[in-house]
Amino acid sequence: MLQHLLNGFTVGSIYALVALGYTLVYGVLKFINFAHGDVLMIGTYIALIVFNFLRTFIEPSIAFIIAILAGIASSALLAVLIERVAYRPLRHAPRLAPLLSAIGLSVILSNTASLIFGTKSQRFEMPFNNTPIHWGNLVVTPYQGLILLTSLTMMVLLHFFIKMTRTGKAMRAVSEKPMVAQLMGIDTDRIIRFTFILGSALGAVAGILVSLDYKVYPTLGSLIGLKAFIAAVIGGIGNISGAMLGGILLGVLETYGVAVLGIPVGYKDSVAFVLLIIILLWRPSGILGSNKREKI
Amino acid sequence: MISLVLLIGIYFGIYALLALGQNLITGMTGLLSLCQAAFMAIGAYTTAIILTSHHPLPLAELIVIVVFMGSLFGAMIGLPTLRLKGDYLAIASLGFGEIVKNVLLNADKFTGGPMGITHIPSVQLGRILISPYDKSVYLIFVWGFVGVILWGLFRLQRSRFGRALEAIREDEVAASSLGLNTTLYKVVAFMIGAAISALAGMLWAIYNGSVIPQSFDFMLSIMVLCMVVLGGLGNYFAALVGTMVIVIISELPRLLGFSVLIPAQLDQILFGLILVILMIYRPEGLLGRPVSKRNS
Amino acid sequence: MIRKLTYSFFCIFLVLLLVSCKKQEVTLNIGFSGPMTGDSANYGKLMSQAVQIAIDERNELGGIGGQIKLRMIAEDDEGKVDKANLAIEKLINVDHIVGLVGAVFSSCSLAIAPKCEQAQVVMISPSSTHKLLTSLGKYIFRNVLSDESQAKVFAKYVKEKLGYSKIAILNLKNDYSQGLADDFKTQFESDGGKIIAMESGLQGDKDFKTQLTKLWAKQPEAIFIPGYVNEMAQILQQAKDMGIKTHWLAADGFSNPEIFDLAGDLANGVIFSNSPDESSLGNAKKKEFEAKYLKRFKQKPDSFSLNSYDAANILMDAMQFVYNEASPDDQRSANLNPAKIRNYVADLEDYQGVSGKITFLSNRDVLKNVGIFQADHKEFVQQGIYLIKDGQLLEVVE
Repeated sequence: MLQHLLNGFTVGSIYALVALGYTLVYGVLKFINFAHGDVLMIGTYIALIVFNFLRTFIEPSIAFIIAILAGIASSALLAVLIERVAYRPLRHAPRLAPLLSAIGLSVILSNTASLIFGTKSQRFEMPFNNTPIHWGNLVVTPYQGLILLTSLTMMVLLHFFIKMTRTGKAMRAVSEKPMVAQLMGIDTDRIIRFTFILGSALGAVAGILVSLDYKVYPTLGSLIGLKAFIAAVIGGIGNISGAMLGGILLGVLETYGVAVLGIPVGYKDSVAFVLLIIILLWRPSGILGSNKREKI
Repeated sequence: MISLVLLIGIYFGIYALLALGQNLITGMTGLLSLCQAAFMAIGAYTTAIILTSHHPLPLAELIVIVVFMGSLFGAMIGLPTLRLKGDYLAIASLGFGEIVKNVLLNADKFTGGPMGITHIPSVQLGRILISPYDKSVYLIFVWGFVGVILWGLFRLQRSRFGRALEAIREDEVAASSLGLNTTLYKVVAFMIGAAISALAGMLWAIYNGSVIPQSFDFMLSIMVLCMVVLGGLGNYFAALVGTMVIVIISELPRLLGFSVLIPAQLDQILFGLILVILMIYRPEGLLGRPVSKRNS
Repeated sequence: MIRKLTYSFFCIFLVLLLVSCKKQEVTLNIGFSGPMTGDSANYGKLMSQAVQIAIDERNELGGIGGQIKLRMIAEDDEGKVDKANLAIEKLINVDHIVGLVGAVFSSCSLAIAPKCEQAQVVMISPSSTHKLLTSLGKYIFRNVLSDESQAKVFAKYVKEKLGYSKIAILNLKNDYSQGLADDFKTQFESDGGKIIAMESGLQGDKDFKTQLTKLWAKQPEAIFIPGYVNEMAQILQQAKDMGIKTHWLAADGFSNPEIFDLAGDLANGVIFSNSPDESSLGNAKKKEFEAKYLKRFKQKPDSFSLNSYDAANILMDAMQFVYNEASPDDQRSANLNPAKIRNYVADLEDYQGVSGKITFLSNRDVLKNVGIFQADHKEFVQQGIYLIKDGQLLEVVE
């Protein structure tokens, strides 16, 4: 039982990290950044390349840390570029225009990656010994530990950042009422850019963590993306704690649904969607979403 | 060459039906739904199951059953989710779409599971055989449907019902305070949209001769949304134009014969690029009315 | 700005149109249809490269009749049925292909087969294993073992030679894997074995722990995992993490050398069925092809690529044969009788290809012996070659 909880938590915290990227952007711009998954995929590729290059010279664990930083930096850079070129001109356009622009970008990014990095999936060697540790009945791999530790740290840091710092406050202000925020002297462009950087950095970390156990391939982003997005919506999109809650809830329930409730494995993906619909029917704006009435 | 153009014409017609359905739901009624692929799958599988087990069946009966199944599922999906707003509805309906796909994949007894249903026979219209081998006849058959449905939708638009939908799109609260049963109208619009997509699915199944669940993934729904938004929301003619643009830009390399000269990924990149550029320069869609900037 | 953009688009369009209309010399075209973008892009890419090598080799020798050059036209079907239909339409009506290698996935092959049949284009699928495919027409062949023939031999081998009688199956929900699992089960049970548990996962799944837990609880002697390398690598890894020690059985999907990158040492000891390495001649040919492929594309070919290479060569042999018999006029205009090409392929017997000896049966399925392999330190070591005759498993001794 505890084992399933742990497995679910691991899967869920990855969802949560990616979900944060969606939710942060949705918070300030009110649109679904469809290309988020592909941005993190590019970051993962860059990290892989840096890691494979460096580990011949230096200690793998140091190479790994540098690789993560490189992945974060490249994802962030790409996100800023995309925001400038494809989203900013559409900030006052009809609601669906940026969504389409994002879909176009997602197609461009995943195909560019397959052109440059090849269609073959590549393995990200674990930079550490992944022998499972047994605690009684509980089996924990160091890899799972790494995921839990990293994502929890990042979520806590993010939480305090948003609550305590000036930039965090500015982000909340922009998300609440962009116009007023601007009138109050907040440089909204800067805040929006910063939001993209933050979201894609978290995404890149998640991408790297996922591919350690699996592999790196050009459509990596879209597969994580959908589930993470659902996690964001379950928690209440635009709400940061909501994304974390949604991600972990989704991960745990998916694991439980199959392992404990005995749902046939083929229907595993349906668990996420049924959960999504039930939660939305119960709380139409997600669990922690602000359920304010539309203006009349 | 002619044959290829005819085939593109057939697919254009089938996608046009999907886009018309989407436009009724999204453009006319203002509901952002993302499950056209699921409705299409319902139509396609209904057709496949009926034609492979009860052949020969008069075409009229087949159409009635497909429309019935389509609207039934439209109601099933619409009734619970239509109280959701905006992006939440989009995600919930996307979830439903994935559940439908998941069920098709796992209900092996009825749907053939991952093997799908093959050997779907052609149908008879009076004394004319509607078969995929005679493309010009099939093209006329498909566009016959498009024509009839377009006519019906135009009639609908100018009726009391159509004006009610428009009122709901513009201001739901005002509409309901005028005594409109908004839920009923929304559900009916959803059902009609679903039935049109189911018909598209029927045409698709007969043309391809086989159906598998993977053909109806959420990317298809997203593409249909792209067609409608690209054309300009709320205008049936624009939906057709949008469909044409998407079909043509995705088939352009094949039509011009340079699909062999460049890597396949470049085709896709080109597609994404055109989508982004069109959105940046015409965010309201090719034929959409320029929207006055809203004060946020 | 918009006007400029429109103009420039228009100009590009015109240029491209001109380029595409350029009169080309007479060539004979061989089509390839498979996924080149999207999730399964790697399969299409590996296979189309094999076809390219076959065609380049023939062109170096002067092409058909020492005169007519060959060209590969590869179209991307994205692994989707509707795109496959567009691809085949273009290949047949615009490029006038003489033969087709493809499609990769059964779903696409099933959709395009009737079109090839109608246009009298010989289609040889190197990878679609769906039972019903070749029943769709006289022009529809495949040189990959169908799920049925492969699974039958393998099931008998597992029962008789390995001596297992309690097997668990973990398959994927796609036509290839499910087909193998079902046919394996039927054969194994009719021979008196027992399939004690069957679980399935989805293609692209990363977590198989739940299924493995369930299967392991039933204490199988071995677990059969027909599927593709990505999922199989995950299964092996997770089984190891969970402390499951059992024998692993797989099918030809395992023959992709990528498995050693993905699963490392865990791949060792897995026993699987595949096209056999036959005779010293075939082996030398295969080695040569593999070396060439590796050198040119920096990748090792998988077993489907071997099939693709053979399919292209069979098609070209058929063209050569028909060309030799054609009238001088037809020779000059490269006008080859499709029915004759088809008959040549249908009558093919004991063709020594890189994927083994190929004979087409009267139902246009391939008669191939089945090789049983074991993975061992980055090599697939052949344990024996088998076939079923009169319901008996026979080892082929050369």
